[in-house]
Amino acid sequence: MDSSKKIKVLYIDDEPNNLVSFKASFRFDYTIFIANNTTEALQRLEENPDISVILSDQKMPGMTGVEFFEDIRTKYPNPVRILITGYADIDSVINAINRGHVFRYIKKPWTDVDVQSAIDEAYKFYVTTSMLTLKNEELQKAYEELDKFAYSATHDMRGPILSVLGIIDLTKNAEEMSEVKEMVGMMENAMLKLDNYIQNLHDHYSIRRGELNITDIDFEDVMKDMSDLYDISSRVKNVKFEKSVQQNGKFRGDDISIKIIANNLLSNAFKYQKKEGDDRTVSFSIKVENNTAVITVEDNGIGIPEKNMNDVFTMFFRGANDEIGSGFGLYNVKDALNKINGKIEVTSTENVGSKFIVTIPSK
Amino acid sequence: MSEGKMNFIVIDDSKLDCFIAEKIILNSGKCESVKVFQQAVQALEYIQAAATSQSTTVVFVDIQMPVMNGFEFVENFEKLSDELKKNYHIYMLSSSINENDIARVKGYPSVKHFLNKPLTNNTIQSVLEEYNP
Repeated sequence: MDSSKKIKVLYIDDEPNNLVSFKASFRFDYTIFIANNTTEALQRLEENPDISVILSDQKMPGMTGVEFFEDIRTKYPNPVRILITGYADIDSVINAINRGHVFRYIKKPWTDVDVQSAIDEAYKFYVTTSMLTLKNEELQKAYEELDKFAYSATHDMRGPILSVLGIIDLTKNAEEMSEVKEMVGMMENAMLKLDNYIQNLHDHYSIRRGELNITDIDFEDVMKDMSDLYDISSRVKNVKFEKSVQQNGKFRGDDISIKIIANNLLSNAFKYQKKEGDDRTVSFSIKVENNTAVITVEDNGIGIPEKNMNDVFTMFFRGANDEIGSGFGLYNVKDALNKINGKIEVTSTENVGSKFIVTIPSK
Repeated sequence: MSEGKMNFIVIDDSKLDCFIAEKIILNSGKCESVKVFQQAVQALEYIQAAATSQSTTVVFVDIQMPVMNGFEFVENFEKLSDELKKNYHIYMLSSSINENDIARVKGYPSVKHFLNKPLTNNTIQSVLEEYNP
């Protein structure tokens, strides 16, 4: 077995002979840490936070095994505790088990089989409990997100529908054809907004639930996709779109995540432009070197006020007075980056522009 | 000022909803003037800068808006002098069906009512009846 995958076991006993023979018996099956007293034991725990099973002798000078377990419970709640007791000290055993500190107890002199089975069972218990804790944390996060989502969904999904209903009510009394046409145009915008929101939502859940699909990435392809999407925006909005790709060597990654990231950053760069100006520019560059892709999206738009810098990646946070923002974009970027171990850096000055630098390692 | 006519202020980040509100208000036949703001901050500045209004002004404000939301607008409004505030009547509008929001609206003394979106002829008529029974 790979030594890093072995179960890490700490054994505490005041008798050096026991420590030595314990290590001799089990060093092939487990990674063994030994301690002659409880102070040493604490040190071992400090150095190796991933110790999953602790065995302690009950009768030691200074502090008993039960006392030691009780002592470390708050600081190290995860390792599973096994008590070894050399005499029929049934009271201390009952005491320990009742207090919930001890998973098993082993009688001295122990047999290898007893110890091994106790450690293996303890480890199973450890894995289950840590998984449970992890799952609970994930669940907690999911609940919080769901709450936020339910709140926002009524606004962001119902909003455009209610607007359209309002307009329909108005058209009933409209007499001029031109007026009706104007209203139809407005309804179209409301529906586009809703559609955009739903697409973002879809992105969000594909990142969240989707499995990564690692393939060779040709960044020329990514660039082409983005050009197809944004060349039109560039022309219509009269914003220069500068592009460059430089790929030295192979890159393996998840195509969808990378495109979601690039798409959201570009969408923002075009969206948060100044109202007018001839030098309005979005520059988009991709550089792949040493198994790392660096994607940079820079604009000279409205920028991000300093007080909002900490919130830009928060779900449903909207920092600007525009009505297109859904509060999903950068949150999705961050989420996608978390999945593929990427990083993002933002520098921005209000009224000067923003720069996002994304770094993604090849798989 | 003509008999029974009032001033209106609409605050909503959605251009479309501003347009709807403006139309409905103009169609009501009771409109002396209507001002539309897509940003709550600008509406607040406008109210602060305006000379004390002698006539009734009805304010429709959306709850969920970026930068300054409807609640923040009301909180800032309530800090103004009583003299400045006295002729403004605030109604909060939202598409949200969130109980907390609705309950929160009740906590603000300067807010008259919570109204559901969209603003319709019927809603505005019932609002107007409160002033011209």
